[in-house]
Amino acid sequence: MSSRTTFIGAVEIGTSKVTVLVGEYTGRELAIIGRGECSSRGVIKGSVVDYKAASECTHSALEQAEREAGERIELVFLAQTGGHLEGFYNEAAVSVTASDNLIDAGDVRTVCDLAKSKELPAGRMVVHNIRRPFRVDGRLIPGSPENLVGQRLEVGYWTVHGQEPRLADNIHVIRGFNLEVRELVLASLASGHMVTTPEERQHGVLAIDLGAGTTDFALYRDGAPHTTGVVPVGGTHLTNDLSIGLRLTDGQAEKLKLRFGRASAQTKDKAQKVWLDGNFAIGDRQFPLLAIEQITAARTWELLEVVKKKLGHAFSPETCAAGVVLTGGTAKLAGMAETAAKVFGVPAHLGEAPTWVSENLRDPGYHTALGLLYYGVSAQAERATPARRSRGFLTGVKRLFAST
Amino acid sequence: MSHPLVNLPQARSWRDIPQPVKPRTMSREGRWRLTTATLRATGLAAVAAALAWGGWIGTEVLRESPKKLPAVAMAVPVKSFELTTDGVLDESWLRRALALPKTVSLMELNLEQLRARLLAHGQVNAANLTRKFPDTLAARIAERSPVARVMAAANGGGAKALLVARDGVVFDGVGFDPAMVATLPWLDGVKLVRQGNDLLPIEGMTPAADLLAKARLEADHLYQTWSVVSLARLQSDHELEVRTKQGTLLVFDADGDFFRQLAKLNYQWEAFASLPAPPTKIDLSLGREVAVTFAQPPVAPGGGAVLLRPAPALVFPNFFNSQPKTKREL
Repeated sequence: MSSRTTFIGAVEIGTSKVTVLVGEYTGRELAIIGRGECSSRGVIKGSVVDYKAASECTHSALEQAEREAGERIELVFLAQTGGHLEGFYNEAAVSVTASDNLIDAGDVRTVCDLAKSKELPAGRMVVHNIRRPFRVDGRLIPGSPENLVGQRLEVGYWTVHGQEPRLADNIHVIRGFNLEVRELVLASLASGHMVTTPEERQHGVLAIDLGAGTTDFALYRDGAPHTTGVVPVGGTHLTNDLSIGLRLTDGQAEKLKLRFGRASAQTKDKAQKVWLDGNFAIGDRQFPLLAIEQITAARTWELLEVVKKKLGHAFSPETCAAGVVLTGGTAKLAGMAETAAKVFGVPAHLGEAPTWVSENLRDPGYHTALGLLYYGVSAQAERATPARRSRGFLTGVKRLFAST
Repeated sequence: MSHPLVNLPQARSWRDIPQPVKPRTMSREGRWRLTTATLRATGLAAVAAALAWGGWIGTEVLRESPKKLPAVAMAVPVKSFELTTDGVLDESWLRRALALPKTVSLMELNLEQLRARLLAHGQVNAANLTRKFPDTLAARIAERSPVARVMAAANGGGAKALLVARDGVVFDGVGFDPAMVATLPWLDGVKLVRQGNDLLPIEGMTPAADLLAKARLEADHLYQTWSVVSLARLQSDHELEVRTKQGTLLVFDADGDFFRQLAKLNYQWEAFASLPAPPTKIDLSLGREVAVTFAQPPVAPGGGAVLLRPAPALVFPNFFNSQPKTKREL
């Protein structure tokens, strides 16, 4: 990235809402100067199903953000989610070529190319190649292995790939606003980077972003993303279960979920009832609180179990010392952390944005968009100037996150 | 040192997805953004072009308008000359022709006047003068080439050889190679009209120039024998007369095709080359016929009469085929 000021738009096209943040990036520092939101339409489980409707609401959010920022967005970092995203792990090893066993840049490049070289099925495209730490003769190397001495260099990549048409749909929505998509960032990585600290990532942490249509998760180990995934189940499924179980419309069920839903049933009194609206208007009626809690708790438990199952052997309490961090709109459901702790057998807590993020952006709904800017800018900077990585490039970024 | 990587499977990345701008898929705001972006780019290009044009105009104005220049620039005297010509004139001639005072500055020069001064020399066909600051006067000249010589009465009495250009302009040749000038034929039968110190252009010079140019190009060995070209019968009979160094008079039809006439002359010239005395006159202005006149009946080297061959039909190259068509073709 050049040293001139760039206005970056972080766009998350979610199932329930579209969020846009505008960042002013000077090449060293990033300040958030605008925000736009719009109820999402034409998007189901993170995938665009109605181009026109999705475009209208996304463009409306972009316009709103530009108006608030007073500047025109020049490029976009776009969050990517959806059930079509999958991941696999591939690793490679090379023998160090130098006679003195000193690892050079060529060895590193070769082992990385080998580890990334995996053919995908037709119609699939790579979204992310996430590198895990290098190993030199079995020794874990957190940074670059260059100039270290060893005989065998190993590295592995967690490759996330998705269906080309789904990826293209999201990109074309942004192109319809005459903006270029510069970075496509996995939503779980974006939010995961915001709600976890480097120390937590080093010790091992599982970040779960419970959205409306999908649940994205990213497992970190040794300071780097280890496994990511998407479960096409989210808050709307809880609403849907309430709607079916209590014979309510989606709107009424959503209202009950937000007011009385819990991730773990707490009420003991089976006779305790709650009003739908509480205003004694015509149509207002009572529902057993226990039933509401049981429905939402059962679905939540099931959802977290699915996440655990998808993680498989990658997750174990021993390698996830920092526990589980929950974020996303559905994570605000009462008792979510306790349920997650029970399901995963490790401590769990609701994720919070770092202290340098200003108050009006601390809601979990902004974590993904904030992370997009944070992660996207650092990815761009790494690509442009790899040599600056070790100098703590984002120190300036952090300072100015709190400027709005 | 890197390992050789051969035929590694390459997975396609999301960056391979094209991001075209299709107005069909754009929202109203997107189209507006596209339009404004296009207009902005066009505007920037227009501003850049306007600035470049303005700079060029400014330079031209400064070059041409003395008042726009600082006094320092106006005070620098002309030190050097730059001459660009397609002929033989040189810088020393330019200095003499312009005859500028030593202390005159570029801004004090009247370029139109100086140009007229250059054009007064018949050898100069076109001239253009430009100032090159701080102290150089540049001249771009197109010169006339001589096609013939003419003897004229000098102002102070006596005669003086002058050169004649294709357009009939008579001028003092400056800088020409004397050997080249010596090959030019003399012009005769022309009326030189004096106007002031100069001679007016010779009328009817064009056909003579065409004949000379064609002869020089197509039959240089004949041209080298030509001594005098006369325009005396051009007005009355539309004929050009050429006197060779051997004394033969060649008559050309001024309205005819000089190439054909030269071809016929070449044939006759070769036919009579072996005779002890050349013909006194070869008339090429009679169409297909050539009239050859001798002072005495030609005698063969053995003493007998020469049997003159009738002129065969001329054979020209294919592109110039004038053979009569056969009956079948007709």
